[in-house]
Amino acid sequence: MKIAVCIKRVPDTETRIKIGGDGKAIDEAGVKFVLNPYDEYAVEEALKLKEKAGSGEVAAIALGSDAAQETIRTALAMGADRGVLLKSATPSLDPLVTARALAAELEGGGFDLILFGKLAIDDYNQAVGTMVAELLGLPSVSAVSHLELADGKGTAEREVEGGVEVVEFTLPAVLTADKGLNEPRYPALKGIMAAKKKPLEVKPVAADPGGVAVLELSLPPARKEGRIVGEGPGAVPALIDALRNEAKVL
Amino acid sequence: MARLIPSAYQPPLPRERLIRAEPPAEDRIDLDVVFVGGGPAGLAGAIELARLVKKDNEQGGGLGEVGIGVFEKAAALGEHSLSGAVVNPRAFRELFPELKDSDFPFRRAVEREAVYLLTSGRAIHLPTPPTMRNHGHYVASLCEIVRWLGTRAEELGVNIFPGFPVDSLLVDGDRVAGVRTAPSGLDRDGNPMANFSPPTDVAARATVLAEGTRGALSQAWLEWQRVPSPNPQIFALGVKEIWETKRALDRVIHTLGWPLPTDAFGGSFMYPLEPNVVALGLVVGLDYGSASLDVHELLQRMKLHPLFRPYLEGGEMVEWGAKTIPEGGYYALPERRYGNGVVLTGDAAGFVDVPSLKGIHYAMQSGMYAARAIFSALKAGDTSAAQLAAYDRAVNGSFISEDLYRTRNMRLAFHDGFYVGGIKAGLMTLTGGAFPGKRINVPKDADVAKTTDHAATFVPDNKLTFSKVDGVFKSGNATRDTIPSHLVVGKDVPTEVAAMYARMCPAAVYELADGKLRVNAPNCVDCKATDVLGPRWTPREAGSGPKYQRM
Repeated sequence: MKIAVCIKRVPDTETRIKIGGDGKAIDEAGVKFVLNPYDEYAVEEALKLKEKAGSGEVAAIALGSDAAQETIRTALAMGADRGVLLKSATPSLDPLVTARALAAELEGGGFDLILFGKLAIDDYNQAVGTMVAELLGLPSVSAVSHLELADGKGTAEREVEGGVEVVEFTLPAVLTADKGLNEPRYPALKGIMAAKKKPLEVKPVAADPGGVAVLELSLPPARKEGRIVGEGPGAVPALIDALRNEAKVL
Repeated sequence: MARLIPSAYQPPLPRERLIRAEPPAEDRIDLDVVFVGGGPAGLAGAIELARLVKKDNEQGGGLGEVGIGVFEKAAALGEHSLSGAVVNPRAFRELFPELKDSDFPFRRAVEREAVYLLTSGRAIHLPTPPTMRNHGHYVASLCEIVRWLGTRAEELGVNIFPGFPVDSLLVDGDRVAGVRTAPSGLDRDGNPMANFSPPTDVAARATVLAEGTRGALSQAWLEWQRVPSPNPQIFALGVKEIWETKRALDRVIHTLGWPLPTDAFGGSFMYPLEPNVVALGLVVGLDYGSASLDVHELLQRMKLHPLFRPYLEGGEMVEWGAKTIPEGGYYALPERRYGNGVVLTGDAAGFVDVPSLKGIHYAMQSGMYAARAIFSALKAGDTSAAQLAAYDRAVNGSFISEDLYRTRNMRLAFHDGFYVGGIKAGLMTLTGGAFPGKRINVPKDADVAKTTDHAATFVPDNKLTFSKVDGVFKSGNATRDTIPSHLVVGKDVPTEVAAMYARMCPAAVYELADGKLRVNAPNCVDCKATDVLGPRWTPREAGSGPKYQRM
């Protein structure tokens, strides 16, 4: 079983984001970067499938700056066999540009399965995985929360409003992983030691700004402070009044 | 008012858990040298050792590859590191002779400084005591220093393992043969969950204990090897906040006096990190007399003083943290800081000089001396105590020992209160440490009686002052709620003792609920204060605790 996992380096969810001086990018000073949490599910699923198959290869592929090597090493420490960094000096904002660069690398790689996280927590585009499937002409299932593979075919479950959608597909295919697909492992000490010696190929890719430009970044407006209207049953009328006349939700 | 002795309710250190007479397991990892703790001591030591090995191999010394590992309990380097800090660059200069001061991860040089004696409404400018003069030193964030040292160490091929707390020492006779990491992914009852990671054993020819303040393994090793010290180690608790301010601070400020009662030793600091970012904190010796003393709350009250308030008003508190400091000085140093296959460095050994408020450069320097002694021992193919004794000789002949000896009695004099201590410390300064001519005896903190009294209630305004729970949130602590408790609490803790724990702990780990002690272990920020006076701290799952960024 030969599996590719496409991963991204993103700011940690607990990082306090500051907008940089130009107003168009975040200030990276002091920001901790991590492997995109949804990509962790993808890496874990790839490792489980390989372990189940008993043989194969898991390749972790990222598009990004040199710093993304650290993110690839995390995937290698979890158990991926090799890494590829598609090195680009400028961050890619246009999902199609990212998808093209990844598709060019994946094309002809002989992968049975290509996995993504369902979205990257920095830009929330939810686009690259599906675009890569389209570019490679492969079947695609997004936001997979359960997966079974057998005899060159697969069954994936997706959580949809009020139920579960079951999708059948043939391999090779492109899937994007949702929360709940598995419980990602922590890299073990041995894995971290071994990761240092695993191959990590760096391939420069042409920086193409694509069709997207950032005009301005702004932080979401601060949430208004809550208010305690009172305590005990006596406060119910005041609460109903506030919900009806202030919040206008009743 | 009654009196209570904290040690009467303190459980013993769980030594059998921290020191295991087991060989490293078969599926172990083999390294040559393990540093327990990725702080200034461990990282400076790892850098020095990696350089010595590299140089030896370049010169055909034949040592070959030496596996060096730094194990750190925080999820990322620096996230459990907290200090004031005004740093003496001396150890940096020695470790990186090829670099200039401006290359080091310091924020700014100390240009102006002031010491004040506070009353509740006034700040009386005092002449700066000679020990507190900081000309030529730098304001810095220890988190940033540690991250920078980590990058240097990795460049030299050191294996850095953040997120791998060391759970126990593995010993063979009296020789430390390696370490065992803490498991992760256990539920509240200690049963493995889906993402369970078992412990890993690491075999090492030498282990450097660089755990920092009140290190659990260091304490256990000293107890197990029955290594005495003339005085017991004593501790202070510091609570610190980082503020983004509207008004710039142009000097380093230290204060004495208010809001501390006269039977408590301590003081505050406020340092400029950036033009509009200040670090401020309050440090109090744990030999204080009132059971209701609460360092976090005193810091909150202190911020309302006219000296601090104008800087903080309209600003935002962006980070909060707490840590203990070993304050016993020269006479609290263990008689030997080495054994078979092991050495103790930095705060874990007690290398802190209280009168000058410095420890980082001593920690780094001790790590470097440890590295040199271990390098010689590896060359000799013998990491026994006889070889590693060279480490103690190096420390004893260095400025670490000299500085601590000069101020040997100063902190101890304050055990008898602020005014008596102030006069004695003045005489000590005048006589270069010769007064009073002999060691001042102090009891250990947990043996100092505390008076049970009632504290006035304090209600935070959520603008300048904050609750402990808000503080814990600002420490970045996101420990999962289902973690097994890592705190060993005494049986049947009486109400007044539980109340003392609740006041002492800055992170609201201990609460008094219906007259009983309730323990909220996930709140713990690893400051170790209650380990000194009450419940014992033990290593826990990787990534637990605070996530300090600029502390």
